[in-house]
Amino acid sequence: MTQSTPKLELITERAKLVAGREQTIDILVRITPPDISPAAKSRPQLNLSMVLDRSGSMNGQKIARAREAASYCIDQLLPTDRVSVVIFDDQIEVLIPSQPAEHKAGLKETLSRVYARNSTALHEAWVRGGMQVSEHLMDGAINRVLLITDGLANVGVTSTDEIVSQAMNLFKRGVSTSTIGIGDDFNEDLLLPMAQAAGGNAWHVERADDMQRIFGVELEGLIAQFAHTVSMGMVPADGVRVVDVLNDFETTETGRYALPNLQVGLPLEVVVQLRIPAQATGAHLRLLDVRLGYTPQEARSAEIVKEALRIEFAEETEVERLPVNHEVTKAARLLMNARARREAMAHMDAGRHDEAQCVLLSARMATQAVRASAPLASSAEVQAECASLESLELSLSNRGEDKMSRKRLAYGSYARRTGKLQK
Amino acid sequence: MRKFDTFIRHQKYIGVTELAAQAASILAESGPIQERGTVSELPDERTLRYYLSEGLISPAEEKQGTASVFGYQHLLQLLVVKKLQAEHLPIRKIRELVEGRSERQLERLLGVESTAKEGGQESGKGEALRYLESLLMRPTEAASAPARISQPLLSTPRSQAAPSPPQSSEMAAKWERIEIEPGLELHIRGDYHTPRDTKGLRYVAQRIMRIIETHRSKPGK
Repeated sequence: MTQSTPKLELITERAKLVAGREQTIDILVRITPPDISPAAKSRPQLNLSMVLDRSGSMNGQKIARAREAASYCIDQLLPTDRVSVVIFDDQIEVLIPSQPAEHKAGLKETLSRVYARNSTALHEAWVRGGMQVSEHLMDGAINRVLLITDGLANVGVTSTDEIVSQAMNLFKRGVSTSTIGIGDDFNEDLLLPMAQAAGGNAWHVERADDMQRIFGVELEGLIAQFAHTVSMGMVPADGVRVVDVLNDFETTETGRYALPNLQVGLPLEVVVQLRIPAQATGAHLRLLDVRLGYTPQEARSAEIVKEALRIEFAEETEVERLPVNHEVTKAARLLMNARARREAMAHMDAGRHDEAQCVLLSARMATQAVRASAPLASSAEVQAECASLESLELSLSNRGEDKMSRKRLAYGSYARRTGKLQK
Repeated sequence: MRKFDTFIRHQKYIGVTELAAQAASILAESGPIQERGTVSELPDERTLRYYLSEGLISPAEEKQGTASVFGYQHLLQLLVVKKLQAEHLPIRKIRELVEGRSERQLERLLGVESTAKEGGQESGKGEALRYLESLLMRPTEAASAPARISQPLLSTPRSQAAPSPPQSSEMAAKWERIEIEPGLELHIRGDYHTPRDTKGLRYVAQRIMRIIETHRSKPGK
């Protein structure tokens, strides 16, 4: 099968840069996976284990909606997929051992009898789910554990660092993990890093009603996955320096940036800041080489696309007459807002709620300024961002909502940085 | 190069010294280094630390006290680096060749015959499963109250029954083992209620049949 490659674009605000002065500029690196509709292409096989929390706190609406969402998931699977369900409280039960997603009525019948019970053996349940997937590890398929919980690991291994590093080690061996946290009582400092380290997605379900939609988004993402193990390397020209990558990606052992999985229909926007020494008017330079490494879903080895940023330096008056690409400004602003959310979290953790609100307010002001200067580019997305910041400021003024506010900040920031935004 | 035995595949090395010593002994036995005959080309602790800092060998995933614990993957990486260095490849090129390779790919680079005959998929499968099994066997977990496991075979009827609180589950914890035929056992818990009607019984029987069938059709079993 011929594999088309993702498009790699390096975009600057204007087509030329001002000569004669040192400057720092934003570059929008846009990675667009090839536009094959998931229906047209044969989608990757799935080997899925749903690890479902049935501890006491899940009682009522949460467990009911989780059951429905898991049933919905089973409905969406093809007979060529594999599915298993592990349920846990202080005991772990392999409710549905890994099997082809056939006889769906029987599987759903089994699920319907799950009720909420005791405390939370999150770690071992995850291990058991991983084993269900590993026993039938499929080449070229997405082998994934989906961990669904509303609580804190309080039986067995409970150390956040230990669980996160184990999830990463399992991912290196071919099994990824996504996490779904429900409500306001789970540990986002476990579930978020766990999914990030394990090549999966992290989702926050605020209301039980939302469960099915989130399961749908996760499943769609799996079906549309184009490539995994994505990394970006950058080599600036002599004298040029990469000052910052606004997405705050982790770096790999070899100094490259570790990017999230690429998904068809979901371009990933990265903003890089470059410090450039003064250049003569008329100079035409190659400022930056970008190398994107990725492993396509159906391939076994890594592939690479490369792109270079070449730009001309001109007089200020000439540059200012050139049209502005507001996409760059917008992308940079939204990523700065992701940082603002994390900063607000740090203030919250230190008990400085006023400062947290302040950080969010200034982020909102700056976003509104983008909106004012570029009404055309400021899509519904920018409007939604302003509304989201405003509601965060509001929820921060209510101490009773602290746990939920912190999760909103954490997941909002993560979703922006990784481009994993819920539709 | 010869085939590595199972012992080497599961061997752990505490600290860089042990890893370097193992690699040196393998290289001394066979491989390109011996042909060239210079002892200085055997890996020592200092070169190993340099490789680690250059990303030629991935960092250890485990620690024992302050010492890093290395495994088969690290050994393979070290041997591949040495082999490629003997072929006068620059560090940058070597890194490209070694980075992100699975054990099986590294074995191929070394020309080692893999014992995993079933192909890459099977060897990958084994790796993930072996890793998870090792997590369950960690002594730290056994010491801190381990979660109890119930098997799928018996889970369905029990989850229908009213959940019993843990303190009153003395009776519930008693299990009876009945051998159906060699290799197949049924475990019944003390508080298990047999389904009253034939419909309920048939459902349980069907579940058992399905489990046996899926077990039989498992690839590689």
